[in-house]
Amino acid sequence: MRKFILQRLASIVVTLWLLATIVFMLVSVLPGDVGRKVLGPTAPKEDVAAFNAQLGTDKPLFEQYVKSMKRVFTLDFGTSYQTRSSVSDIIFPALGRSGKLAVLAFIFTIPISIFAGIYAARRKDKLADRVIVNAGLASSSIPEFVTAAVLLAVFAVELGWGKAFANPPDGTSLFGQLEYLWLPAMAMAIAYFGYIARMTRAGVITALNADYTRTATMKGMSSSQVMRRHILRNALAPTITVISVQIGYLIGAVIGVERVFNYSGLGSTMLGAVGAHDVPVLQGAVLLVGIVYMLSTLLADLLIAFLNPRVRLETTR
Amino acid sequence: MSDLEQPPADPDEVISSPGIDMFVPGHAPTNAPLNERKQARRENWRLIRRRPAFLFGVFILTVWVICALLGERITPHDPLDFRAGSHLSPRWEFPFGTDATGRDVLSRVMAGARDVLRIAPLAAFLGVLFGVILGMLMGYLRGWFDTVASRIVEAFLALPVVLIALLAVTTLGSSSWVVTGVVAALFTPIVARTVRSAVLAERDLDYVTSARLRGESNLFIMFREVLPNVMGPIVVELTVRVGYAVFTVATLSFIGAGPPPPSPDWGAQVSENYNSIISGFWWTTFFPAAAIASLVIAVNMIADSVQSVMEAS
Repeated sequence: MRKFILQRLASIVVTLWLLATIVFMLVSVLPGDVGRKVLGPTAPKEDVAAFNAQLGTDKPLFEQYVKSMKRVFTLDFGTSYQTRSSVSDIIFPALGRSGKLAVLAFIFTIPISIFAGIYAARRKDKLADRVIVNAGLASSSIPEFVTAAVLLAVFAVELGWGKAFANPPDGTSLFGQLEYLWLPAMAMAIAYFGYIARMTRAGVITALNADYTRTATMKGMSSSQVMRRHILRNALAPTITVISVQIGYLIGAVIGVERVFNYSGLGSTMLGAVGAHDVPVLQGAVLLVGIVYMLSTLLADLLIAFLNPRVRLETTR
Repeated sequence: MSDLEQPPADPDEVISSPGIDMFVPGHAPTNAPLNERKQARRENWRLIRRRPAFLFGVFILTVWVICALLGERITPHDPLDFRAGSHLSPRWEFPFGTDATGRDVLSRVMAGARDVLRIAPLAAFLGVLFGVILGMLMGYLRGWFDTVASRIVEAFLALPVVLIALLAVTTLGSSSWVVTGVVAALFTPIVARTVRSAVLAERDLDYVTSARLRGESNLFIMFREVLPNVMGPIVVELTVRVGYAVFTVATLSFIGAGPPPPSPDWGAQVSENYNSIISGFWWTTFFPAAAIASLVIAVNMIADSVQSVMEAS
């Protein structure tokens, strides 16, 4: 068990290094003079040169690469080109805001979609199953920004049940923030309903047909007990994996939803950083998404092993 | 379980198709002679065609393909003509209303099919092509190449696709060729991982060993012996990827990395107009958004039908 965790952590470090390198390569070929872009077209030439010298963006690429990797591994993401404040002060609060949205989205979507998946599996090929499967297919295939725009039009504008600008003013109580956050969270929840429901359905169908389920039923266990003790424990493993893979995605790729609702989360931060050529912010944000993604998949693997000890035995055999 | 997923055989069709009794549908041996394989393929095709979801998806897709091919020749107005009043609500002359500059939304939605349909299928095809080559090399050769490539693939999978695409499009410009190439490049590692695991299951089977003993080259074994046997997951991957490509291309043009403004691209239309929803002009955003949704759903219904039939066999 400890060996497993250590191995995974080591592979996370290697993957992060590759991730940082890919991002560095992509941003360092971005055309244009960083100082010129940040200071604007009217700034005097000398100022631009001084700015570039201060940032080190006039140094050879390899030197910049070594410096940037050093920063990555000391978790010091440097200072923003644009605002000159520490990158950590920008990306961590943004991650917090995106995280809040993601948690709310999961609270909306997980119970409903797991229940729908179980319900569909028990009525396989009947009308309810068809409806749930196709609704899930539709919900997970529509881009989030499309759902977000429709929710915005219907609920925030026509019905007045939410806010079109999702940033709550400072000092809003946690409960008061709900009014601001529920619509964008709903847009994300709808996008993930399909994945989770379909995964749960597939897992439950497999478990329902398994020998251990028949044995449990034949030895006289009540059907609710069979469901809880035998079917769900086995069926939820793939669902947990899917949820964990979606966590990174939820936090990183909510760019569309955050843009529609003008919400200043990590997605908007990254979008802004691309436009402004703000390499340190971009690099920090993408790495942060990578770390969250990999830690959540590791946690999911541990949770699956905890729920179903047989998984662990099978891997050591 | 797999038998339950297939609709019961239609007696008429069994009679009308010669040689149906030569094999059990869905259980054709994978390295069977060519004509049996062809029959298995025909049988899969028949099962796919029977699914209502498939027919519905094909119907919607056909409508959009016609719009894309004929474009301005069938739109009721010129999609770039701004002489109508601005923000007219939907009415007989403009069934989807007009936008802020007085252009007909219906005509723009119809003409907008062209951009996404030109980019998405090609991007998906190229992504699958490169993914198959990479995955095949990884799974068949193993060794250090597989180790290194697997790490890189994993790093790519941890990156938000849309963000990297945006980054690359900002770097290289937003011509449709760049968008196609970027989406293809981002799909390559995803496809490679699927193909790799399919190849791993094949590489130690007897037919590969005997081909090796016969002295065939690695290239021959990979693409003439192994490839036909992993075609199932590849076809599924291709249909699924087309759906994702539509999704990605639409999202990219929504966040500003698509075709430049006067073009009636759907994502760009949503991006231009969503701020006016608050003023009550819902139709300028709603119809292009609905168009994106209908196309993605149609492609996914086709992909889903192909997947259920392929996986049952």
